[in-house]
Amino acid sequence: MSENTTASTSPGVPVEDPTPFGWLTTADHKRTGRLFIISSLAFLIMGVVLDLLVRLDLTSATKFVSLDADSFAQSFALSRETLVLLFLIPAFLGLAMYLVPLQIGASNLAFPRAATASFWIWKISAVVLIGAYLGNGGPYGGWANGVDLHLLALSGLVIALLLGAVTVATTVMTLRSPGLYMDKTPPFTWSALVTASMLVVSLPVLLGQIAILYIDHRYGRVFLLGNYGIWERIDWIHRTPQLFIYVVPVLGVAAEIVLAAAKRRVFEPLAMYFTIGLVGLFGFGAWTNFAITGEGADIIDGLEGVVLVALYAGALIATAGLLGLLGLAVIQNRKLPKISTSLLAAFAAGKLVLTGALVGLVGAAADWLEIAGRGNDGNPQLRMTTWVTGQQSVLIYGAGLLGLLAAIHWWAPKIWGRQLNELLGLLNFLVIGAGALLAFVGPALSGLLTEQPDFVYADPNATSLYSNWVDDTGAEGLSALGVAGTALLLAGAALLILNLFISICLKKGTEATEDPWSAQSPEWLLPSPPPIGETDELPMLTSGTPLLDAQEENEEANT
Amino acid sequence: MSDITPTLASGRPQRPRTQLVATGFASAVCAMMMAGALGFYMARRHASGPHPGSDWLDGLAVPNPQFDYALLTLVASLVTAHWALWASRRRDTAHAWTAIATTIVLGLGFINMVMYSMNRMGLEIGSGEYQNLAFATTGLALAIVVLGLLYIGLMGLRSLGGSVGQRGSTSLGAAVFFWDFAALVWAVTWYTVYVVK
Repeated sequence: MSENTTASTSPGVPVEDPTPFGWLTTADHKRTGRLFIISSLAFLIMGVVLDLLVRLDLTSATKFVSLDADSFAQSFALSRETLVLLFLIPAFLGLAMYLVPLQIGASNLAFPRAATASFWIWKISAVVLIGAYLGNGGPYGGWANGVDLHLLALSGLVIALLLGAVTVATTVMTLRSPGLYMDKTPPFTWSALVTASMLVVSLPVLLGQIAILYIDHRYGRVFLLGNYGIWERIDWIHRTPQLFIYVVPVLGVAAEIVLAAAKRRVFEPLAMYFTIGLVGLFGFGAWTNFAITGEGADIIDGLEGVVLVALYAGALIATAGLLGLLGLAVIQNRKLPKISTSLLAAFAAGKLVLTGALVGLVGAAADWLEIAGRGNDGNPQLRMTTWVTGQQSVLIYGAGLLGLLAAIHWWAPKIWGRQLNELLGLLNFLVIGAGALLAFVGPALSGLLTEQPDFVYADPNATSLYSNWVDDTGAEGLSALGVAGTALLLAGAALLILNLFISICLKKGTEATEDPWSAQSPEWLLPSPPPIGETDELPMLTSGTPLLDAQEENEEANT
Repeated sequence: MSDITPTLASGRPQRPRTQLVATGFASAVCAMMMAGALGFYMARRHASGPHPGSDWLDGLAVPNPQFDYALLTLVASLVTAHWALWASRRRDTAHAWTAIATTIVLGLGFINMVMYSMNRMGLEIGSGEYQNLAFATTGLALAIVVLGLLYIGLMGLRSLGGSVGQRGSTSLGAAVFFWDFAALVWAVTWYTVYVVK
């Protein structure tokens, strides 16, 4: 079916404009979802390029390789903001906007125009943010008005993402088909609800902080060190445990794909919902750590240390529990599922969430484990070294990008009506997987073995990167590994976009049937892709696996 | 659509609680935003003052009676907001209109009082740490109050603009819920920044 087919609707229901202009004023969740997904992929390329430039500089302790002192600090900040606020969160938000109504039998999102507004506010704020950086106005920037503009753009991004999160959460809470109770919803929908709810209770803290940062920077720079005091107070949104909230949908994607491939239900559904919820819950609280004052980053003893270790250990156990449940479902099937790009990527993404939690746990417990000889003697701790860069890489690139690769390959038939090229997909999986591993291992080992600092807050204008760095033996080689990994990731992101272009835009992909994967969840009952606009024909759902239910009924009737 | 699952006979089901749930989420957003700002305030207060020999307030004196009256005005507007909801549920248009108009007038009066109190206090933006923090936290709380006022006005017009029915009073109920929440936000902000200081 063509993407531009319009659904027949009853009076009072907004009619979608099928022309390109309709994308601007759309009130259809499918269009808004597509806009978010495609735009976030474009920003992914930008984020990886910036990360590559920053990592090139890390290959030398004595001189800047690719950027100058001023650009290094700002590129570092922009690369983090791009990868999190312009790629990771919006990509999965877009996916949720597209899929959640289809999975719960709703005709649209709860507030479709608010969802569209969230996209355009996000897009405009992103452009303003990049403009502020281009004018030397990011954190550590020299253009004072640009720094203010950066803070305003950051607020715009957060408000837009929160608006989107509220529409998704409200949709799951109130628009489920009568009879589809919360404990019957498909795992991706549940993970979308967990993420949206956790975003609602964590990201607004940044808004409160930005208000104070803005007023102090704009009026007098009385107590927050002007543009030097900004980054350390907003950096918590790019770090663990906050990062766990952003990768919760990856667990939902993994559960959907693995269970469909195994053709089984999960052994204990409530345990699955519980473990996914726990990972989101353990992501909450990052801001209580060192965000408020920016002065606690070098303290990891007492209650704070215990809480951090408990958070990471909890996330680790919950993820392991979920992966164990999915593994049991595969074993129950007693034959190997058909290998596909989505299955491999989903499996790897799930494992990498687990790795991210483990890396976080080691970082938090470094003092207790006496790793790298750190202590409260003024020296940086493990979590202030490039160990953190490694952790960010494993969660953003490893779990996030591989999870998105799995999701796009799995749901491309439902989103665009065509299947993506599988051979290109497998190559894509290998390139992104290898890139994520190198991007993780290089900086993580460098942080562990050479104490290479993550970023110098105190003196970003230093002529050499790390003037106080004592032991840099081997760091250059390990940083080069990270560079190679990021270069591979850039190739992987480009390959994903190329596959989408060839399969969807050039229409080389196989035209999809309603259910090309013999999947379980309700969206596969609908045409691929569903017509734009709202339809009157809503499925009456009482289960999150109607297709599996029907298959089992047929098997029972035949025996 | 696949014929495996029956379709809903009634087409589009009624969803009376959607707006209320969304308002609940919006309130959570505002609550966490204020938690971030007030947490920042308290952390800075703990780090910078008031220590012996230091003056956290830079010699400023908080005009307590004016702030108290502002809070009382806000509490009075809560009563009128609930009066509006009560009237709209009974389809009593005259009382509902009167109550909504009174709520809006009291809300505007509250904002005016807070601005006056800050002016009387001599709070100047950019003149000190307490001043900047007070401006930021009070500004955020006032923004939530203004948002609540707009919401209650808009839902009032919507619910009374043609029909005072179940759907209209549900919308107004969501707006009144947010107004209650906005008043709570102000009370916490006022206590933290102007009472405990």
